[in-house]
Amino acid sequence: MKVTFALLIIIFLAFSGYHLTFRHFRLPLFARIFYLTGTEFLVLGLLLGPQFLNLVDPETQKGLAPLTALLLGWIGLLFGFQFEIKKLRRFPLEFFFGAVLEGLITLALVFAGVYLTLVICCDIPDSFTMVVAVTLAAAGGCTAQTGLALLSPDRIAKGHDTVKLLRFISSVDGLIPLLIFGLCFFYNPSTGSGGSWLGELWSGILTSLGASFGLLLLFTLFISHRRFQRELILVVIGMTMLTSGLASSLKFSPLLTNFFVGFWLVNLSRDKERIYQILMTVEKPTYLLLLVFLGVCVRFDSMGLVLLALVYCLYRALGKFLAGFLVTRVNPELQKYPGQLGFGLLAQGGLSLAILLDFQQAFPSRISTSVISFAILAVIYNEFLSHYFLERLFKEGA
Amino acid sequence: MGRYKQYIPDLKIYGIILFILVGFAFWIKIIHIGSDWQQAGLTTFSLGFLLLAAYMTAQILRIAGLPLISGYIFVGILAGPYMTGFLTHDLVVRLRLLDDLALSFIALTAGGTLQLQFLRKRGKAILINIFLQTLFAFALVFLSFFFMSNRLNLMPDLTEPQIMVLACLLGVIAVARSPSSAIAIINECRAAGVFTTTVLGVTVAIDVLIIVFFTLAMTMSEIILGACTGVDFRMVTVLTLAVAGSLALGVLLGKGISLYVERVGHDLSLFLLLFAFSVFKASIWFNHFMETHFAVSLHLEPLLICISAGFTVQNFSNCGHIFMEGLGRFELPIFVLFFSLAGASLNLDALCMMWPLAAFLFIIRTIGIFGSTWFAAILNRDPPQHRRIAWMAYITQAGVAIGLAQLAQRRFPELGDYLTMLVLAVITINQVVGPITFKIALKTAGEVDKSNPINSNLF
Repeated sequence: MKVTFALLIIIFLAFSGYHLTFRHFRLPLFARIFYLTGTEFLVLGLLLGPQFLNLVDPETQKGLAPLTALLLGWIGLLFGFQFEIKKLRRFPLEFFFGAVLEGLITLALVFAGVYLTLVICCDIPDSFTMVVAVTLAAAGGCTAQTGLALLSPDRIAKGHDTVKLLRFISSVDGLIPLLIFGLCFFYNPSTGSGGSWLGELWSGILTSLGASFGLLLLFTLFISHRRFQRELILVVIGMTMLTSGLASSLKFSPLLTNFFVGFWLVNLSRDKERIYQILMTVEKPTYLLLLVFLGVCVRFDSMGLVLLALVYCLYRALGKFLAGFLVTRVNPELQKYPGQLGFGLLAQGGLSLAILLDFQQAFPSRISTSVISFAILAVIYNEFLSHYFLERLFKEGA
Repeated sequence: MGRYKQYIPDLKIYGIILFILVGFAFWIKIIHIGSDWQQAGLTTFSLGFLLLAAYMTAQILRIAGLPLISGYIFVGILAGPYMTGFLTHDLVVRLRLLDDLALSFIALTAGGTLQLQFLRKRGKAILINIFLQTLFAFALVFLSFFFMSNRLNLMPDLTEPQIMVLACLLGVIAVARSPSSAIAIINECRAAGVFTTTVLGVTVAIDVLIIVFFTLAMTMSEIILGACTGVDFRMVTVLTLAVAGSLALGVLLGKGISLYVERVGHDLSLFLLLFAFSVFKASIWFNHFMETHFAVSLHLEPLLICISAGFTVQNFSNCGHIFMEGLGRFELPIFVLFFSLAGASLNLDALCMMWPLAAFLFIIRTIGIFGSTWFAAILNRDPPQHRRIAWMAYITQAGVAIGLAQLAQRRFPELGDYLTMLVLAVITINQVVGPITFKIALKTAGEVDKSNPINSNLF
């Protein structure tokens, strides 16, 4: 009963909140940052979770886990749909390389910083340090578009080209971080078998490839006929469940597996537009549900977490600034863009949060809860910082 | 054979899809499931598997002329705990959450399908059908079971009053129908017309009235067993209040839905899903709350609330068609999951143990339905063809009957497992045979949408 009750509350909040957040709700700027990024849903999740009201206790969370897997799968599929090669080709190729490079540099820098910090300052088993560092680096590498959405129209008009590049980067730069995050799943920290990691990696990759091939074949066969809308809805829901379920059962990421499926669908399926419409129908409620579920996982039981969040935020900001600078300097075609491009890439939401939830579900432990807690705090810091730095970027550079 | 040739390419694709799906199912069964996350993954996978495999199987059976819901039920039975065990008992129980959602959703559809103008035209016919079907089905099942049990000494450990009570309860449960199956088949065939409206009206109305009949039967049973000495008027009042309250609440909520459609409008399907689920869970919570805090068993019926809400939106607002469109969007996945889970819940063990008696009751009930619909058709001056086929539309039975059997078992534990086992066995037969006969009846009545390719290949 409690699972049902919690589910009802969460769905109700996500549904009603989606209407309040995304539709005709005008607020002062400070509150708009708060609302547009859905930060209030993280807080709601926190309130519902074990730390406060305990409406969603660990047992209830367990009951809701299939929904979480489905949610992650849905987000993965949506992210995969952003990689339609035909549409990506409309942008200059250097945009793509710029985005990939930016994601990679940020990931590397955040990884180095987080790994060193964890080794020096935190009492985490060695086998888990790597997974935590990769996850935080991957989450740090992704950029959200929420900051750009808050820009005033005259700013956008003035820095039109820069905004275009920023939009492109923030849509695409999660690719490499997500792929690298997927590697964590082949490394099982609970066994601590660091030596056999490579062996597990190969068998894991082969298994995943086999499963992905089977799933892709299945999806292809399902949509080989033109189906009615209601049939297509059934196929999309069923395949997302199947893919997410299989991925979780194989101890793999539902987010990444569905990303592959989405990528393939958007590039090869005749029905991509119709499938995309179905996915978009519940995109915003899905995002808010993700926030609530993450909020539920958060535990603020030490002030150290606030400090860790600041440190993580700092690493990420430095990574983004440096990556933005390098991207605009390494590639001659991008040199016309301001060197402070990284100022516009601080917003962190969407995919980063999905990566964090995926990590929390796949590697549940006291440590992962703490990691999630400070990472989410850092996401909130970033949302506020991003607005300030975006303004600076457009004042100075664009 | 020639007319099936055109389906061979489709059948090949369906076959390959099922082969891959079953391959994945085998694979996942040999994976060691250790963590909670993997367990959640298995549940998610099972749901996805059920959805896709049931849908595909239904497409194959459709080519043979069988209704889609027979395909869903068939896959549920195959995947369920009594056959392959892919879905364990535990999992089926956990997935009941979806049952609740689906039932409310289907009840909304049922209410929305009932159009006042048609009901006005067929009101008398519906009333006559309800009266005769209730009388015939109850009387035949009651009498035949009572006399047969006594004559053949089928239940030696039960006393004569207990057998009478068992027969009485079986008789009432025999009256129950399955509106969900009826709606699924009507929607599948896109059927419309006098025959369809009458069947739907009778099925939905019996679903409401069965609660009243059952309460009366329980009271009678208690009197027979000596547990009470007269009719408990307090119970009758509470029952009337519950039914009236549910209907009134449904009207109110229906007005709320209309308001939402008119003022907000977007994301209607999501809103209706949330609405259906909330109504079901909120009524259960309310009933529990009233019992524990005020010792009053005022049971609001979520199905009645939803039927009444759907009926209100359809008939007392301008947004009936938008409402039905909104319901239609998620209807297919909900139907598939609901009926395949219903299939997985069908108790094959009970059927194996009780099949001779279950088959006997099935035949008696069918004769009762046949007789009543025949006479009703004569009284209503329906076309002769309707007279012959009407019985085929009323065979299906599902959740409500099981629920009633479980309630009765709780009240009369001395009847042991007889009642539940027998009811489960009869329902298994009815739910396998009923959808097929119903689809044939709709086709014979000439009320299926012939432009719909799904109806091109019936028996």
